[in-house]
Amino acid sequence: MMLTDAALLEQALTGAEDAFTALYRRRQGGVYRFALQMTGSAALAEDVTQETFLALLLHGTRYDEARGTVASFLYGIARNLVMRRLDRRPGAELEIAEECAGPEDLLEDLTRRESIEHVRQAVLSLPPVFREVVVLCDLQDSSYEDAAAALDCPVGTVRSRLSRGRAMLARKLRGVAGCAGRSIECPKSL
Amino acid sequence: MSEESVIAALRALAEQDCEREAPKEVEARLLSAFRRKRARRKLKTLALASLAAAAAITLFFVRPQPKPVVTTPTRPQLLVSAPEPVEIAAPPAPKQVRPVRRQPREVVTDFFPLLDVAPPFERGELLRVTVPASAMRNVGLPVNEDHLTDRVYADVLVGQEGLARAIRFVSYEQ
Repeated sequence: MMLTDAALLEQALTGAEDAFTALYRRRQGGVYRFALQMTGSAALAEDVTQETFLALLLHGTRYDEARGTVASFLYGIARNLVMRRLDRRPGAELEIAEECAGPEDLLEDLTRRESIEHVRQAVLSLPPVFREVVVLCDLQDSSYEDAAAALDCPVGTVRSRLSRGRAMLARKLRGVAGCAGRSIECPKSL
Repeated sequence: MSEESVIAALRALAEQDCEREAPKEVEARLLSAFRRKRARRKLKTLALASLAAAAAITLFFVRPQPKPVVTTPTRPQLLVSAPEPVEIAAPPAPKQVRPVRRQPREVVTDFFPLLDVAPPFERGELLRVTVPASAMRNVGLPVNEDHLTDRVYADVLVGQEGLARAIRFVSYEQ
């Protein structure tokens, strides 16, 4: 029988290495991808993942099952670590987002991979409060409730920020397609 | 661009990233940290259990003198001699007021847990011990470098299973 995250965490905090390893392997991917999609940097995502699980070891007793899942607890820690790093280098993640391909590059840009990269850069260019909601709900597939627990805000706030974040993305993606002088339904090409 | 299109674009990005994971070295570093923490915790528990046992033995063999310790401030009492009867012609004796010695007031910190996950608590004992002031720093209390080796009073809560569960520090205010 597969143990729940909460049971694994409880065992890990009493010193069970197997439980800690199992919990790490189950949740590290999500934490890493969250940090990667928030910062756009693999090195930062690696640091954040490591520090998130170290913090879990040190402060895991603060986890309260009534307030959310272990995953949302981990995302909450990762989110704080990401925000601290973004504060240290404000705007750094926006550099590529503001770039716009010229007409000659457009045909190449239409490849699937590059279209996805446009989407990635558009996400990275969102203000952090909207980006974290889009990353959690649309990229990490978290429920509104889990996202609210991770971000320590009401579910209604998550919904409204997600809606605004998507609207901003729509404008940005339209801009990416439009700057080459053609109207491209970017997502349909994906 | 419609919201559905944005969601579809985000889904494509999520699919592309779904295999991305932290490098294996992160797991190795974390396991190393986990083992170090476990070893430290065992050492700490052992040290505190020894401390508690030593305190228990001391209490068993050496009956301590009761300390004039008051946990709550007391109202000073003025001891006044009884008034002389009116019938006596001699002048009444002057009122004697004995100075009341102020008792030191005990000030305690909150309890600091010594176990990350403690087994259920059924009963236990509170042991008053003295520890070096550096023990206060171990639980995050500020201690001046010059006083790290000073002895301070502490109450150790020992559970029914003999584990030291929590500690609080005690000082006296005049």
